[in-house]
Amino acid sequence: MTDWQELQSKSFFEASARQRALGLADAGTFTEFLGPRDRITSPHLPVLNEAVEFDDGIVTGVGKLDDRPLFIISQEGRFIGGAVGEVGGAKMTGLIKLALSAWEKLADQPERLAKKGPAVVISFETGGVRLHEANAGLLAHAEVMDLIQRCRGKVPVLALIGSKVGCFGGMGFIAAATDAVIMSAKGRLGLTGPEVIEQEMGKEEFDSTDKSMISRTTGGKHKYIMRDCNILVEDSISAFRDGVRQALAETPEELAAGRRIGTPELVCERIDLVALAAEMFPKDAKDIWSYYGNAQPDLIPEMTTEEFLRTAKRRP
Amino acid sequence: MNEIEEMNDTLVGQGRRAIDLIVDPGSFCEDKVPGWQPEPGYGPGAVVGSASVQGRPVVILANDAEAINDRFPVVYFGVIGLEEAYKMARTVYGVIAADKDKPAAEKTPLVLIVDTPGNGPGRVEELFGMNCATGAYQLALAEARQSGHPVVAMVVGRAISGAFLCHGLQAGRILALAPEFGTMIHVMPISSVSRITKIEPERLHELAQSNPVFAAGVNFFSRLGGVDEIVESFDAMPDAIARHIDALRAGEACGPQQRGSLGAERGGRVTRPQVEAKMAEEFAAVADSYL
Repeated sequence: MTDWQELQSKSFFEASARQRALGLADAGTFTEFLGPRDRITSPHLPVLNEAVEFDDGIVTGVGKLDDRPLFIISQEGRFIGGAVGEVGGAKMTGLIKLALSAWEKLADQPERLAKKGPAVVISFETGGVRLHEANAGLLAHAEVMDLIQRCRGKVPVLALIGSKVGCFGGMGFIAAATDAVIMSAKGRLGLTGPEVIEQEMGKEEFDSTDKSMISRTTGGKHKYIMRDCNILVEDSISAFRDGVRQALAETPEELAAGRRIGTPELVCERIDLVALAAEMFPKDAKDIWSYYGNAQPDLIPEMTTEEFLRTAKRRP
Repeated sequence: MNEIEEMNDTLVGQGRRAIDLIVDPGSFCEDKVPGWQPEPGYGPGAVVGSASVQGRPVVILANDAEAINDRFPVVYFGVIGLEEAYKMARTVYGVIAADKDKPAAEKTPLVLIVDTPGNGPGRVEELFGMNCATGAYQLALAEARQSGHPVVAMVVGRAISGAFLCHGLQAGRILALAPEFGTMIHVMPISSVSRITKIEPERLHELAQSNPVFAAGVNFFSRLGGVDEIVESFDAMPDAIARHIDALRAGEACGPQQRGSLGAERGGRVTRPQVEAKMAEEFAAVADSYL
């Protein structure tokens, strides 16, 4: 499996959706569902004179990670920015439903479930809803969210964010709702994209041409300090794979403790955080980094991931 | 109010008036919700409280477009910001906890009155995780619905994109006032679709007649299964909400997955079930080597 070996050292940022899916699973174990050969394409794009893609920009399938079935969703930013329409949305919900049904099958074997239970990983590269089929895309987002709640305490769902487009729009809150968020420093996570904020609130609020400010606001390092990212990794497929392994090695209690939202206790914690936001009203992420005890916030953007992980102080 | 007067009337930007039109007269107690007491002025763009609808005790979650949040300037005209989303989420969890030991038939219904143009778009919002805030409220609503609370959304004004996902699309049932009342459900208006696709708006309106998937509007959304029922007058809202609460109490299917089936039935989203079925078939062929 030389190809698989080569994928391991490949940049996650540069990798295609299919390369990420193949490389995250153990060598030779990935089986794609509804792949390009099935040719189920968007029925809506041709109406608007748009070209279709045979996988609708989302790779879905099952592989193994250390004998555990890993249900993988991988979004392709090179096709309409990774945006989600009817087919891509149904591929996401369809795959999560398969993982849930696999869990149901093993429900009477708790020991096997603990060690070899199914897990879902979503490699995000998307701005959310595909505007050409916006209504269907929006409805699909709600279905995915509903399924994430159904997976709670059963099937771990992990978010991987380290691709070019980042993870924005509706998919930004789907990532937040997962059990663990794994990012690289180049990963971008948010709700409203920089251009949209600038358009609605003005350049003073958010300058979408200021790349380093965007990176400080939405990038992996900031999200890691805020604990909106659980595991920060280097930019390679193998590093993300190790991140997945690390998250799946956690006990259900540890996994639950790392979540951002999904319980009344976490909401109360967030309400305190919002009170801090109101009091501080920071001009820049650096203000928050110093608040949490990072003495030299100016140095953080240039740090290597290794150096950052060794020295960064996070939200308690 | 007679029908002719109603025709030109709208509830856009008038969340509090919508509450009055929906609940039994005098029954609304703002901030009186189980489990916590929101401080006065907290998350002012979101209104929560208890009330009754045709004699059924409910908890109301609504938007107030006239409120301005002094702490978060991006919150106005019905925007759901950080405080608003967590205020709503905490209210939902309070209701779940209070009814934890009650049988499904006695769990308090949640009525979402929807008139919101968006989630807080701002620097501080992104720094502190607006995605977490809207996600928190959605997970709370999904948990409430999945644990048996009837959750009914009534769209009285704007239900736009991510804000509709936040406040509406996790409901068990979604009702919307007819478009004559200015009701808006969309991700973006046709003019913006036109800019992106470079197709003239007139041509887009024509295309939308046969394919409702990109078009803005309550009726198109309904054909995709995104709206369960269109309500034809203000006066008909309480009865429609009560009817759907009773249907959900009786255990009728509901929620986002059910709206998927509805979308196929109404002909607006027919590919979705084919995709899911084909995937299940392909997995079944290899399942033994993975499980």
